[in-house]
Amino acid sequence: MVEAQNMYMRYHKGEQYALENVNFTIDRSEFVFFVGSSGAGKSTLLKLIIREILPSSGKLKVFNRDVTRLPRHRLPYLRRNIGMVFQDFRLMEERTVYDNVAFAMIVIGSSRKEIRRRVPHVLKLVGLQDKAKVKITDLSGGEQQRVGLARAIANRPAMIIADEPTGNLDPGTALDIMNLLHNINLRGTTVLVATHNRDIVDRFKKRVLYFENGQLVGDELKGIYSNVH
Amino acid sequence: MFISSFIYIFGETIKGLYRNRWMCITSTGVVVVTILMLGVFMVVNLNLSHITESVKEQVEIVVWIDEDADHSTLSALDEKLSRHAEVDEISYVSSEEHMGRLQEQLERAGRGSGILEGYDTSLDNPLLASYEIKTVVPELVVTLADEFETYPGVDEVSYGRGYVENLFAVTGVVQIIGLALMAGLSVTAVFLISHTIKLTVMMRKREITIMKYVGATNWFIRWPFLLEGLLMGFLGAVIPMALLYYIYQLSIEWIAANDLMFISPLPLEMIMIELSKYLVPLGTGLGMLGSTFSMGRFLRV
Repeated sequence: MVEAQNMYMRYHKGEQYALENVNFTIDRSEFVFFVGSSGAGKSTLLKLIIREILPSSGKLKVFNRDVTRLPRHRLPYLRRNIGMVFQDFRLMEERTVYDNVAFAMIVIGSSRKEIRRRVPHVLKLVGLQDKAKVKITDLSGGEQQRVGLARAIANRPAMIIADEPTGNLDPGTALDIMNLLHNINLRGTTVLVATHNRDIVDRFKKRVLYFENGQLVGDELKGIYSNVH
Repeated sequence: MFISSFIYIFGETIKGLYRNRWMCITSTGVVVVTILMLGVFMVVNLNLSHITESVKEQVEIVVWIDEDADHSTLSALDEKLSRHAEVDEISYVSSEEHMGRLQEQLERAGRGSGILEGYDTSLDNPLLASYEIKTVVPELVVTLADEFETYPGVDEVSYGRGYVENLFAVTGVVQIIGLALMAGLSVTAVFLISHTIKLTVMMRKREITIMKYVGATNWFIRWPFLLEGLLMGFLGAVIPMALLYYIYQLSIEWIAANDLMFISPLPLEMIMIELSKYLVPLGTGLGMLGSTFSMGRFLRV
């Protein structure tokens, strides 16, 4: 699903590497935590996977395609297979829950029939079926992140990438969101989560890639945050 | 692409215009003012060149014939003038005809023929016979008049001296000023439209970012903004057209009411056709151009 080989990344020449000689392989349907303190390279890695940026050297394959050789006009089609979830939710706040989820489907050209069928379904999956007509600004943080999740899975992506999805949430709500991500993963979707939430990593006992100063310093199945630290 | 995409794109265009309505009204207003100024100038310019053209056509050289010239000199003069390469039309007006015209003019002026009463015009006619000449190129009137004055048998040459030179000088200057003004206003309009759409794009930066992450194609993202620019430009051209329609109609009526018909304005329909030929494509073109300019940067996510 995602494969990095001798991958280096630095934003400007002469600067320190944001990622240095990174090697890993993530298979289909895996659930992987990327952990490390801020500046360790987690966000850089996520940006590389969605090809917001290109590696300075080395290889990065996403869905078995070398992203460094992906022509620009193919980029939207790569992104349609990846659902993004953000720490700050990135929702259209003046619009309703339904509109936010439908938006993701409309902009890739889904039919109206498909949208009318799919949106209520994904809202039910995240437990927001009763809030479809509610404006984003009238929702709690946890509910907003559920909308973010619903939007991410609306187009049935093969992979979900979540960048600090619980960073702005209280522990209880954070756990709800992680459970939802876990459920999505159980249905076969690959889930990558960048976080420094120790409790959550320890509780879920999933594969953990630990980053420190741009280097991959640990890769454990059923990892525990404190173990690799 | 599905119907939902079209509905979305048009919906987004309208929503975008509505949500940023004050900014859109402002920028459309700027386009309206710009195009209105351009339109007013075009109306003036069109009429001015129309007047110039008709005056140019009326500009003629009158060659007065020396009454003492003998028959052979006269026939030589007739041939010389008729065969001149720069002469377009030539007509001989006898002294009797001139007298006739004078009587007519006096009658039209309401003085009857009283002044000439008791005056036997056939016996004692002080008016000279003349040739009235239209030149091929109106601007050559002055040079040709000088040339004709040297011909034997010519008493005097007249051509509305001064008036003609001034007219050509003035129309030339007005056209140059007008062209400069037009160019300046167009540049200003492009700048303002692109700036306004840049602001609307920035206000929707979040949506664009989300669209990029979700996998919308660049064209899908562009269309609503392009249409928005197009609509603003189109409205910015149509509104001043409507205004100009009424302003021009009123001007024509005012000219007619004040007995100024010698100005002879161009007909309203003709002006509107002429204006729509330039202003509507210009407005919409400027709008689309503006939105294209302002978007490139935001699509690189």
